[in-house]
Amino acid sequence: MAPVIIADNLGIEFYRSRKRKLSLREMIFKGATTHSTEMFWAVRNATFEIGPGEAVGLVGANGSGKSTLLKMIAGVLIPDEGTVEVTKGVAPLIELTGGFKGELTARDNIYLTAGLHGLSRDQVDERFDDIVGFAGQQVRSALDTPFRHFSSGMQVRLGFSVITQLDEPIILVDEVLAVGDRKFRAQCHARMENLLAEGRTLFLVSHSEGDLKKFCTRGLYLSSGEIVMDGTIDETLEAYRSDSDAPASGTA
Amino acid sequence: MSLASRTGAVWRRREVVRTLVVRDLQVRYQRSWLGYVWTVLDPLAMSAIYFLVFVGIFKRGDVGHKPYFLFLVIGLLSWQWFSGTLTDTARSLLQDAKLVRSTNLPREVWVVRVVLAKGIEYVYSLPVLALFAIAYGLRGDVHFSWRLVLLPLGVALQFFLLVGIGLLLAPVTALVTDMQRVIRILLRMAFYATPVIYAQLKVPHPWNRILELNPMTGVLELQRAGFFREGLQVRAVLVSVVASVLIFLLGSWTFTRLERSVLKEI
Repeated sequence: MAPVIIADNLGIEFYRSRKRKLSLREMIFKGATTHSTEMFWAVRNATFEIGPGEAVGLVGANGSGKSTLLKMIAGVLIPDEGTVEVTKGVAPLIELTGGFKGELTARDNIYLTAGLHGLSRDQVDERFDDIVGFAGQQVRSALDTPFRHFSSGMQVRLGFSVITQLDEPIILVDEVLAVGDRKFRAQCHARMENLLAEGRTLFLVSHSEGDLKKFCTRGLYLSSGEIVMDGTIDETLEAYRSDSDAPASGTA
Repeated sequence: MSLASRTGAVWRRREVVRTLVVRDLQVRYQRSWLGYVWTVLDPLAMSAIYFLVFVGIFKRGDVGHKPYFLFLVIGLLSWQWFSGTLTDTARSLLQDAKLVRSTNLPREVWVVRVVLAKGIEYVYSLPVLALFAIAYGLRGDVHFSWRLVLLPLGVALQFFLLVGIGLLLAPVTALVTDMQRVIRILLRMAFYATPVIYAQLKVPHPWNRILELNPMTGVLELQRAGFFREGLQVRAVLVSVVASVLIFLLGSWTFTRLERSVLKEI
């Protein structure tokens, strides 16, 4: 089957320090990326294809570019080099509560966030019970109170619940499975397994070997922005482990 | 991506824009039921002040058309939309940074949404304008004419102009946060360089020619044309249309150009 994510020589550059001396004139007429002296490539030369239904785990140390890569696939960062083509819709579990507005009630927020990700009002009506049911009793009884009164756990639960109700065939997950209490984590895992069983494509960033092994079959190992290994999840985890255990390895 | 395809992309996501605008208005009016009162109270209070100063104290109501109070209300309602949008669009990418970072929408949506929300507030305030127009009309002070049809055109032109300016300011402000202060100062200056509290017609040469270059001059001409006897300044309107198109092109170009850097920064 045709791949659903095609990354071709993907690369993105960032400023090493956030303090930049940019004049307005320079920015507009030359483009902001001309100050190449203080730049570094957060991700570079990333080339891979992911087929439908694959479950891919992204492995690597902090700052190796995992989240950046995920964001380029989600379309919320634009690559400076190369292309990434995503042929199907994406449900990004990235900033879970980003769409929520503290002043509005949880109910309004569900409609709002689901709407931002492309669900119509009728579609939300249909799924409303499932969304709330998944988020739990605590959330249900507080549906009509302002969202800012929710505990952070409840907020994330609701966020997770909304995004995983989207129909999108590709799911991008950035370190969100670790949130919530024990019970909710178990629930999340069950939901993820369901989604995978339905044949969705999963792209998972995590530091939890357990999660990676549980959900993923394939692994990409990122080191300093380069994909150094593309294989089964066990192989890549093994490589990552031996690299990070090695004293003063090349990443330092 | 070309301008046409980007415009198309925003249009295809109009449901999302609608959701966002509704949210903005909800938040605004949920916080206090006085929300609506505030939107109209501010321009009305300002109108009263200018009326007092120019007519009550200095007896110079002739700087604008008659009735001067109605002239002020039209101008200040429109100006409130203009200045409110400028301050807010400049912040639009920063304020909802989390949303911009987590949803793959055409980024122009964040600008258009602010202009629309403010525009709807403006439209909501039009009944107040109508009220004053009718009140003055009953006294026989208003010169209603067919040119009232130009009012919606003026509103449309202002919308278009604001989208252009918003596309220009939003990414620049996201990269250079000082811009917000600069914009505040520029806005205050622009207020006096715009025929809000005076009519372009009454401005002596050569200042009136300079004033003509301000795109808001033509916008206000269109919005006021149906209420007053004075002739429409056609040239100012034409300049305004041309300037709005140019600003829109410049804005879109800047936005596309800086989008990449903005996404990295926020």
